[in-house]
This record gives sequence, C-alpha cells and structure tokens, in this order.
Amino acid sequence: MTDSRTKYSFYVEQNALEATDRPRRFLEAFAAVLEHSSYNLPLDVYSRASVRCGRCAADCQLYQSTREDRDIPCHRSELLLRVYRRYFTRSGALAARFGNGFTLTDEYVDEMAEAYYRCTACRRCKLTCPIGIDHGLITHLARWLLAEVGIAPKALVVATREQLEGVGNTSAIPVPALKDTCEFLEEELKENFDVDLKFPMDVEGAEYVFFPAVSDYLLEADTLMGNAAVMHVTGGSWTIGTGNYDGINYGLFYSDRMMERIVKNEVAEVRRLKGRKILIGECGHATRSAWFVPTFCGPDAPEVVNCMQYTARQLREGRIPLKPERIEERVTYHDPCNIARAGRITEEPREILRAICRDFVEMTPNRTENYCCGGGGGTVSIDEIRKFRTGPLGRRKADQIRATGAQIVVSPCANCKKQLREVCEDNDLKDVQVVGLHDLLLKVLDFGPAREAARRAAGEPAADQTAGSPTVLARSNV
Amino acid sequence: MHAWLEWARGPAFVFCFSFMLLGLVRHVGVTIWEIRRTLRRAGDRSLPLTAIVKATLTWLLPADRLRREPLFTATSILFHVAILVVPIFLAGHIALWARAVGVSWPAIPNALADVLTILAVVTAAGLIAQRLAARATRALSKPQDHAILILLALPFVTGFLVMHPGLNPFDYESVLFVHVMSGNLIFLLMPLTKLTHAALLPGTQVVAEIGWHWPKDSGSRVGAALGKEEEPV
Repeated sequence: MTDSRTKYSFYVEQNALEATDRPRRFLEAFAAVLEHSSYNLPLDVYSRASVRCGRCAADCQLYQSTREDRDIPCHRSELLLRVYRRYFTRSGALAARFGNGFTLTDEYVDEMAEAYYRCTACRRCKLTCPIGIDHGLITHLARWLLAEVGIAPKALVVATREQLEGVGNTSAIPVPALKDTCEFLEEELKENFDVDLKFPMDVEGAEYVFFPAVSDYLLEADTLMGNAAVMHVTGGSWTIGTGNYDGINYGLFYSDRMMERIVKNEVAEVRRLKGRKILIGECGHATRSAWFVPTFCGPDAPEVVNCMQYTARQLREGRIPLKPERIEERVTYHDPCNIARAGRITEEPREILRAICRDFVEMTPNRTENYCCGGGGGTVSIDEIRKFRTGPLGRRKADQIRATGAQIVVSPCANCKKQLREVCEDNDLKDVQVVGLHDLLLKVLDFGPAREAARRAAGEPAADQTAGSPTVLARSNV
Repeated sequence: MHAWLEWARGPAFVFCFSFMLLGLVRHVGVTIWEIRRTLRRAGDRSLPLTAIVKATLTWLLPADRLRREPLFTATSILFHVAILVVPIFLAGHIALWARAVGVSWPAIPNALADVLTILAVVTAAGLIAQRLAARATRALSKPQDHAILILLALPFVTGFLVMHPGLNPFDYESVLFVHVMSGNLIFLLMPLTKLTHAALLPGTQVVAEIGWHWPKDSGSRVGAALGKEEEPV
C-alpha cells in the first residue's frame, strides 16, 4: 500500500477545512457565552414572548428601502432565537426529537452573517416592538458569536488588532506623531485665535483623561481644537495620556471579548495617570462602549463623561464666553444612535446649538427616535459597501436632511460624520456641510476673558477692550 | 352530550385552568429568578429605574402608538381589552366561580359584554386580515399565528350564540361544549405558545435593560472557556 498522501500531493488551506466546522464552533461559543455572560435572560424571554407581529418593519430604514424579508428586524432576530431554542432549551430539544428538523448548518451561519451585518444595530426597532424586544441586543450577541467562528469584517478586526497588539490605537498613530499633531494644532489656534493653549500630555492627577476617536487627530482637527478650546476657557483639568489616547472600541460592534480588553486599557491609562474621570470626545460608540466601564471593571471604575455633557454644563454655569456673532447658516443636528437611542444624551447638544446658532432646526423624527446615519454598527468602516450604506441604508437620512433645508449638519460622532458626508455626496446634497459640534462652538468662542486672565496672571497690563463686548451666555437668556 | 359537557366544565376545565396558572407562574418565576441572578452577577448594578418604569407603562398603555399606526394599534388594543374583560367579568362566568369556590366580583352588564364579544371577533378577523395584508407580517407569520387567532375568536363566537339562543341555529349543548373546550384549549396553550406574552410583557422592558448588564470580566471568561486567552486578535 502506498500512502495516498505521497501519491496525490494535495494541499488544503487550514481555513477552508475549518469552514465546515463552523456550526459546531458556533454552538460551543454560544454555550460559553450563555454560561459566562448573561444573555440567557433576554434570549429566554424573547424566544417565549415574541409574537411575530411585524411592527418593527415599519420602523427599519433598511427594510423600508429594500423590502427584503431578511431585513425585517424580527425575522433577523428569529434567526438566532431559533438556534437558541433548538440547542439550548429543553422544549427545543424535545421538538427536534418530534421531527422539527432544524439543524444549524454552514449555510445557516452564512445567512446569519449576512443578516446581522446588514443591520446597523441602531436599536430603533426596539421602540416599535409591542413586546419590547431589543433586536439590537440580538444583533450584538449574534455578531460576537459569528466573530468567534472567524466571521467579522476585516476593517474592524484589523483596526482592533492595531489597537490591542500594534501601535496601540486604531489609526496606528505613534506617540511622536501625536505630539507633532498637537503642537501643530496649538500653532493653528495661536495663529487663528491668538490664544496660547496647550494640549496637556501625561499630566498626573488631572480630573479628566481625554479619549477622542483617535481618527480625529487625522481627520477632524477642528473638533479637537474645539474640545481643547473649551477646556482652556473653562480652566478644566484634563490631559491626553500617551499610553492610550484612543476612545474607539470596535469591540462594541463585533465582540464583547475585544470590547472588554479595550475598555480595560482605557481604565488602566486613567489609573496610570492618577486621573479621576474618562472624558470621551465627539464619538458615539466610544461613549457607549465607555459606559460599559463599570460593567467590565466593577463599580469602582472611573466615571465616564462625554465632552458635550461637560461643555453643556459649563455653558449653563456661564463659564463659556461667546462672541456676539452667531452661526448664521441653517443648522440641524443628527443624533448618533449610540448616545441618543436610550435617551442618555439628547438635550446637551441642543442647549449648545441653540446658544451658538441663529437658525437651528430639528430633523423629524429626532432624539431617541432619530434615524441611523446608515453607517452604524461599524459598517461605516467598510469602504467596499459604500453604495449599500449611502443607498438603501442612508437614503432615509438624506431625505431627512433635505427636508430641513439645512446647510450645516452637526453630528458629534466621527463615524456618523464620515457616513453623513458620503450620504450627502451620493444623494445629491453636495452643498451640505457636515461638522462636529465643537467645530462650530470654536467659531463663536470668545477667548478675550481667557487671554485677559493669562495676562493678569503673567503681570502684564490689561489690553484694551476690542470690538464688541463679550457676552457670557447663561441658560436663561438663550 | 350532557356527560361530555359536564366533563368539559368539570375535570377538563380544572386541569386546563390549573395548567395555565401554574405554567404562567412558572414563566414569571423563572424570569424573576433570572433577573435576580443576572443583577447579582452584573458588574454594573445601577439601573435607570425611572426610565424603565416609564417604558413599562408606555408599553402596557401604548397610547402614543395610536398616533403612528392608528388602525393596527386601535385594532390590537380593542382586541386585547375585549378578550381580557369579557371572560373575567361576564356575569355568567362569575356565577360559576361563586358556585364552585364561593368568590365573586362585580360583573359588567350583559349588553356591554355583547358589544365586547362582537368586538373581539371583529378585531380578531381584523388582525388576521392584517397578517395577510401587510407584507412584512405575512413573511413572519407561521400557520400557527393564524390558527391561534381563530382559536381565540372561537369561544367568543360560541359564547355569543350561547347567550342568544334565538340566534343559534345549532344544538345548544353542542355549542356550549365547543365554547368550553375552546376556552380550555386556550388555557392549555397559554404557557406553551407565544400567548405567554400575557404574563411576560410587563417584564420585557426591564429585561431589555438588564440584558446589557453583563458580569464583570465576562468577555475574558468566555475567552478562557474557549481557550482563546492567548490567541492573537
């Protein structure tokens, strides 16, 4: 007998061989998650109480444009609930014995992968479901289980790898480049606003340790300058930690395992710097994932504050001086799902916008009921699906923006901003500008009092009052 | 037929009704137990209680949804009100309870019961029509979703005929038998089918919130269970 392997020199990719093994590994991961996390409660209740009424379809922007069955939120959730019932409940096992022949197959895993990544996990359908099923939670779990069998968007995995095992952040910005960028921004601020402002680095004992979406250092310099300017005029005690300066957490989109590691890195940096609070920049999912800090690290973990919460409070307390000029263009506000859907941050940005804009209009619907930009759940990072994102997913958003007639769309979220720009480009809204909230605030911020204080502190004589008296806006006169 | 009717009203009813009661209590008990366990293990035990209470009330009394989907919401609300009020507050039913176990409670006038009964049947038909007409709902529907609506309407149709013998073309006792047995069947199916939502609905909002409250270190524990601690990203 000759060894067949020497006769036929076949070679099989390890991955290709494992592909047929995915159902088993999916179920193993499912079992581990049920044991060590606490998804059994919602799965149990939802799989027993779901009534298949189809109300969610009316509220899903994706289903509204594609009209495909697989895009009905309830249908999508049912994909995972069926697996749960069949393999993890006694009644399901019994039903299977009596001939309900559902078996988890490779094709079924593919079907789930497709369905759960067409959904942006915006959780809008939860508001319509008469039973109150949180379809976003099911998508969140399904994506994690899929990731455990090796199905996750490359863009998200590569960025997370860079963050956890590479340079230390998703945009692969090394510390010297970060410092250069911040120095450049300081010069910009000096040149444009005549203000001596520092981006504090590694200051120990600061109240806030700052975690923006790290991509802001490359793409959204105005937002960062706005953040720094607000901290400057309000005398806030803050710092950027060179050990970790990235708030992005793609774990929220595909794996609790990654999310936990990233969240713990943030906490470790705050502890290293002996800081007290985590200050998140203008980023929706960075904020929501940081809200999971106590979940993964326990109740003693540092408090999480979004920069808009900080700014709105300072504005309310009259500590943010504004120039007499206001933003004249018509401005509208897009609520990022991750911070607005549960109603946690909806009013703060509006307070700020009403204070700085002359013509602020709302989109309808707004706040907790706002439509997703179409790039949620990490899909915005996948450039290959831009057509899908700005078409079926983003069309509703484009219509919403068009209806307001606004020239400026404000969104305090790096992902929403990228997606909204592409939505506007692809949907014939070329004149609409998409900016962050602190970008706009920077334009009307009055550095006069801060300059004055600095001069006085340095023992220089007071400068003449320049044109227009600075107005400090309190909430009452907005 | 008389013996059959006695059996349906007697042992069959007692069995089905107890089965429903115990089944639903078990569902609620298991859910409360799981909520407690989840909260005890959760890393973050703070809950937005006001928001949850508000959401629960909004879900139980979906008034704001009338504005968004008036036809479906109105049909659904009327259907639920009718099928809950009539069986519990019908004078005839209360009399049976009083005779059997000696407790009674105020009844609704029979005229109102008639209106609600007709309403139950009409709205059940409306819900079936909606299930067939709306594309998304049709896609989600399984045969049992239609069957259960028909089953729910059956005791109301037969009950109306029993209450109005003049309009009843069939044998009185046979209709009453169908009435009692369809009711029994509903009781039996309550804990076994999606009708369970009758008991679980008040808890779904708190479940949706607690569903996000995972145990401390749950991510890494799952990683360890799968032997993936050292695995590169």
